[in-house]
Amino acid sequence: MPNLPSLAVATFAVFALASPLAATQKNGTLAQDFKLTDVNGKTVQLSQFRGKTVVLEWHNPGCPFVSKHYSSGNMQATQKAARQQGAIWLTINSGAEGKQGHMTGPEAKALIAKQKIQSTNYLLDAKGLVGKAYGAKTTPHMYIIDGSGTLVYQGGIDDKPTANTADIKDARNHVLAALSEIKSGEKVSVAQARPYGCSVKYAS
Amino acid sequence: MTFDFRIFSIMLAFIAFALAPAAVAQNRLGNTELNVPATLVAESPKVRAGQSVTLAFVMEPKPTWHGYWENPGDAGIGMSFDWTLPAGVTAGKPQFPVPDTLLISGIMNYVYKGDYAILVTLDLADNVRPGSLPISVKSEWLSCTDEICVPEQDELSITLQVVGKDAPVSLDKRFNDFRAAMARPLGSEATFAVSDDRFRLSVPLPASVEIDDPYFFIKQDGIVDYGAPQKFSRDGDRLILETGARGDELDSITGILKIGDHIGFLLTATKGEVAMTGLPLANDGAKQEGSASLLFLALGGALLGGLLLNLMPCVFPILSLKAMSLAKAGGSEAVVRRDALAYTAGVVLVATALGAILLGLRASGAAVGWAFQLQDPRIIFVLLALVTAIGLNLAGLFELPNLNFGNKLTRKDGAAGSFWTGALAAFVATPCTGPFMAAALGATIVLPPIAALVIFAGLGVGLALPFLLIAFVPAIRSRLPKPGPWLDGFRKAMAVPMFLTAIGLIWLLGRQIGTDALGLSLIFLLTVALILWWFGGGQIKGLSRGALTSAAMVVAILGGILALPGEDAMNSQKLANVSAATLPSETFSETRLSELRASGQPVFAYFTADWCLTCKANEAAAIQRTETADAFAAAKVTVMVGDWTRPDPDISKFLEKHGRAGVPLYLYYAPGKEPVILPQILTVATLTDLVNGPVQSAMIAKTR
Repeated sequence: MPNLPSLAVATFAVFALASPLAATQKNGTLAQDFKLTDVNGKTVQLSQFRGKTVVLEWHNPGCPFVSKHYSSGNMQATQKAARQQGAIWLTINSGAEGKQGHMTGPEAKALIAKQKIQSTNYLLDAKGLVGKAYGAKTTPHMYIIDGSGTLVYQGGIDDKPTANTADIKDARNHVLAALSEIKSGEKVSVAQARPYGCSVKYAS
Repeated sequence: MTFDFRIFSIMLAFIAFALAPAAVAQNRLGNTELNVPATLVAESPKVRAGQSVTLAFVMEPKPTWHGYWENPGDAGIGMSFDWTLPAGVTAGKPQFPVPDTLLISGIMNYVYKGDYAILVTLDLADNVRPGSLPISVKSEWLSCTDEICVPEQDELSITLQVVGKDAPVSLDKRFNDFRAAMARPLGSEATFAVSDDRFRLSVPLPASVEIDDPYFFIKQDGIVDYGAPQKFSRDGDRLILETGARGDELDSITGILKIGDHIGFLLTATKGEVAMTGLPLANDGAKQEGSASLLFLALGGALLGGLLLNLMPCVFPILSLKAMSLAKAGGSEAVVRRDALAYTAGVVLVATALGAILLGLRASGAAVGWAFQLQDPRIIFVLLALVTAIGLNLAGLFELPNLNFGNKLTRKDGAAGSFWTGALAAFVATPCTGPFMAAALGATIVLPPIAALVIFAGLGVGLALPFLLIAFVPAIRSRLPKPGPWLDGFRKAMAVPMFLTAIGLIWLLGRQIGTDALGLSLIFLLTVALILWWFGGGQIKGLSRGALTSAAMVVAILGGILALPGEDAMNSQKLANVSAATLPSETFSETRLSELRASGQPVFAYFTADWCLTCKANEAAAIQRTETADAFAAAKVTVMVGDWTRPDPDISKFLEKHGRAGVPLYLYYAPGKEPVILPQILTVATLTDLVNGPVQSAMIAKTR
């Protein structure tokens, strides 16, 4: 079991070699494929969801900006809405061992149960390879990949960059807006927004 | 690793914090529970209606904690301000000090690690009644360590007293320091361009301004890739930046260009064309790699430059003849190679030694450039005597002594002769290096000393390269024209460029010491020529007058040097040159200004800084001009200069009073009248019209 994640990471490293670390993914291009292990030890590969919309969410339970959206139930509601319309939601934790927000599988499972996290899979990326390949800077940092595997949104969860839960009700939820536009076959109107939050706690 | 419950507790604490805003509002001024506590202070607790007062949010991060600039970078959040102000009071935009960069795992943060202060100006309307003036503001900001972040907020308040027009107002001295940490407006507009994922910015900044570890902090998000390394280069009066781009949506951007510890300029840039030209600056991020590639580039430039020097009028004659003599020695490969190597050694040693002296002088703080040796008239005179002697030698007046010695003392001195020819070539060639070598030699200033010396040596190798080729590639040597009677004619013709060089040196000397002293110097030069003539005459008759000639030469040259005017005379000559175009001025002070105004004197006051290109351009084009100086002298205008190169709180306040955030500022005080603010772009006419009457009233009307 402990070796599984590193095995998956090694597999990912093969993909990642093609593009240098800390590269950013561009909207309108094919999203970088990756393989990671989820909290149950199951290997999840991005390309296996081809044909479905996939939402990526960078997560750190210790970050107050993440807490803003979980304690208020906003993130869970967004996850639920996404899955109800058939989208896949992958929550990714790129916090390195020893850094804030890092979790082992069982710890993450406990948190999922406690906070009723609604994502399809909660993926562990302690080496930060996927996070860096996507240029994930903050928690939360959101990406949406459409059915053809193309990146169509990247940025913050909404347009109110504060840690105050009171700001959620007046904010534009960029992810929900993009999902509904994708569903009705429209172009995503806000395809890039400023991500806000804590920095992703990478190993190096 | 086990799950860290401290983190969880911070998170839970935050949730409680966020869910109970009512409780949060209990926080009071300078709350020490916070990691980056804020205190609100006023520059003066007493204010007058119709005036303004500056407030400061004094932020004091606990050790290991930091706060954020208005654009936090890749992560983090800027500070927010929600004011509650009495009627008639308005708050200006917050001004942030120059931030620092903090790069963690490729994520760039724009932060403040030590104590810092954010300034906000409150404007009071004329109708604000005397009495107490309660000011309160609710602020939110993010406090982080390298590991964790905590959003903090506080409700800060202060009560000011509105006092009457004549009541004394004392100012908090700390605000001078707060202001000194702010970025100052650059005064000239920059240009930026985004293409192929690269962001380029071209900033007008005088070449003389020293820059240490520059960084551009952009205010707008989505244009620059914050984490990408920033590469800078300087091209004359422009500083050019290239880094990664994120987007291209804006036509105008603003930001802070940091050029040293807490020294920064506020600038605005509009979209345009920016070419990456000039000399790269070694930056912290790319220092290693940058230096190495810069070194190779500069070394290539130096080699090429040295090679081109062979064609210079001051070098070509020496070298072409040397080449011939090498070809002559054709028979013995070993001799040719030895001579070429000796020559190369001479060139490289002298080039490196000159470079070492240059670096040494620079390190000691003297402002010297390459060819610095030509700034000393004594050296010019020696060179002049030398060049004239070589010219006379080429013309056939006498034979060079080393050839004599060479005949007598066999091969060893042949090599020594080659060595000295090389040394001479390098020494004479340096004034010709300028145009070809400017960039490569400029690099020596930013490179570490050892690398800089390598470049000087490279210059020498380049200069010696043709000889090495002739000596080591027999095919080239065999292609050289065979020596014959034509060689004598060629040699005599080569005296012409040598004498041209002598004329150039005479001109240079004349500029430095004046025509009177030049006349005397030329008489000594004639003496040198006559001694050589006499020496040459002896050679024809088979007499050796070498020892006597050498002695006479030394006397003549020493006499020439001693006859040169002293330092004082030269300084006065320089002053005479300069004062023709200089406006006499005194240092600006408000006390002196009011004195002059009280005594009914007209005053022209201008505010400038070494880093302000607009200022320097105006000074060259309009202020430091004979016409202006004459007109001002005739009208008895006192000129005052305020130098804002370093932050000066008095000048800052004076500028602020005149509605300017920065330099340039040009003011004309006609006796008994309100001051006139002149336009930012000056012409000679603008200034002379001030004192020549009729246009003046029109000017006042226009600037109001």
